Amino acid sequence: MSVIKRFPPALISMTVILLLWQWASGLESMGSMLPSATTTLSTLWTSLQQAATWQSIGITLLQGAIGLVLGVFIAVPVGLLLGLSRFGYYSTQFTLNFLRVIPPIVLIPILLLILGPTSQMAVFIVAWPVFFIMAMQTAYGVRDTDPVLLETMRCYRLGVARQIFHARIPSAAPFMALGLRICVVVAVLGSTVAGLIGGAPGLGQDLYYAESLGLTAETFAIVMLLGIIGMVISRLVEWAQPRIVFWTAGSRA
Amino acid sequence: MNSRLVRFLVGAWLPILLIWLWWTLSADSTNPYWPPLEQIWQRFLELWVFEQVPIHVLPSLRNLFIGLAIGVSAGILIGAHIGLSNLAARFIIPVVDFIRSIPSIALIPIFIVFFGLEGEMRIAVIAFATCFPVLLATNQGVRSTDPTLLDTVRALRFSPFQILWKVRLPAAGPQVFSGIQLSVLIGFIVMIGSEILGAGFGIGAFAKITADSFLIVDAWTSTILMGLLGYVIYLIFRAVERFVLRWYYAANKLEM
Repeated sequence: MSVIKRFPPALISMTVILLLWQWASGLESMGSMLPSATTTLSTLWTSLQQAATWQSIGITLLQGAIGLVLGVFIAVPVGLLLGLSRFGYYSTQFTLNFLRVIPPIVLIPILLLILGPTSQMAVFIVAWPVFFIMAMQTAYGVRDTDPVLLETMRCYRLGVARQIFHARIPSAAPFMALGLRICVVVAVLGSTVAGLIGGAPGLGQDLYYAESLGLTAETFAIVMLLGIIGMVISRLVEWAQPRIVFWTAGSRA
Repeated sequence: MNSRLVRFLVGAWLPILLIWLWWTLSADSTNPYWPPLEQIWQRFLELWVFEQVPIHVLPSLRNLFIGLAIGVSAGILIGAHIGLSNLAARFIIPVVDFIRSIPSIALIPIFIVFFGLEGEMRIAVIAFATCFPVLLATNQGVRSTDPTLLDTVRALRFSPFQILWKVRLPAAGPQVFSGIQLSVLIGFIVMIGSEILGAGFGIGAFAKITADSFLIVDAWTSTILMGLLGYVIYLIFRAVERFVLRWYYAANKLEM
């Protein structure tokens, strides 16, 4: 146990896995399929010193960010309107849910024909699921506003605009924050998928080339890089969320 | 009118309107990328009712089913055991966190290196990718069993094995199923992705090949088919969830 106290367990298990990996890559039966841990890490290290890698990272994140912003900016007003109208809410539930559960990857072959292997295609692939997630979360949150609060505001003759901005939107905010948290992950995923499956620029495309050219060390290095980016982003979102919707810290969402 | 009919009509008018709009607006379309919906529909019936289904759909669904079965069982088993041991969790969870941060699609090239492009690769990558959401959800769920409940069954001298299978896992059920829901979605995405990258047979491969050879109507039919499949798989998941967790829905008086 004293070893565990001195070193964080995560570090120990990472070391064990790297050692196992190094050992397995030397086995006869592996042939040249598995690059050794040291080769992969040094490939990752050299590629991080090249401008092209950072450009790919930048493009991947930028495509994700543009799609995210686009999806959110279209979805929030739509969700707000749907949440204000009972008929609007129930009319769209089935359609939105139907389109939400269909992953955007099914659109890639058709989008490739219409938009080609471009950044626009990647942005569309990101914005599509973001729109459905955010519209549904916003509408649900707006409907969830405390009815007593709304009655009280009506008694004080506070107008509809005030009700929306001071009661409805703050009440929807934790739901929107939860949606946004999911969407950030979805955005990086979408941008990578568009590159790997659809040939849009970025890390996904680099991964596709590395794999099809048989550069196994590069393939493993890019997958590790994607894991690191994913981890950094989810830690950032975890850190940022309670600071943005501070009035609901520690509550349901 | 009864309330079910009203609910159906309220939900149905929008999709019907959208399909009608698509049908009429595309009727005279000469744009090669947007063929008339009528043409797509006729081709859809020719291809998918049911001539090509045994070649391109059933193998895909079989891979998805086997992969999910392996991934979900492994996730539940490993997750439950990690959930019982703080020591194991401290070593394993950081690794799981890292692997889960990799976009699941990006695992496909690695599996291609080991398993080639055919069926085994597709099943292996689906099983691997779908394991982690279930593992984490089960770990969380098993940890958060009501302590009073645990004290009670300990007083009744349940064995640790019984406690795990009869108390902790059922109590974790709703959380485990939210993990499985994510796994089903990831499994479907990885299935399509592995077919597009792996080529050959499979619905994703069919979509990619027809789109690449400018058989645009065929590509549209497979896009629609993939969309419908995605929704049907979601419905099947919901039905299974409601059946397995019927005690939970009943106890909480949730709408079925």
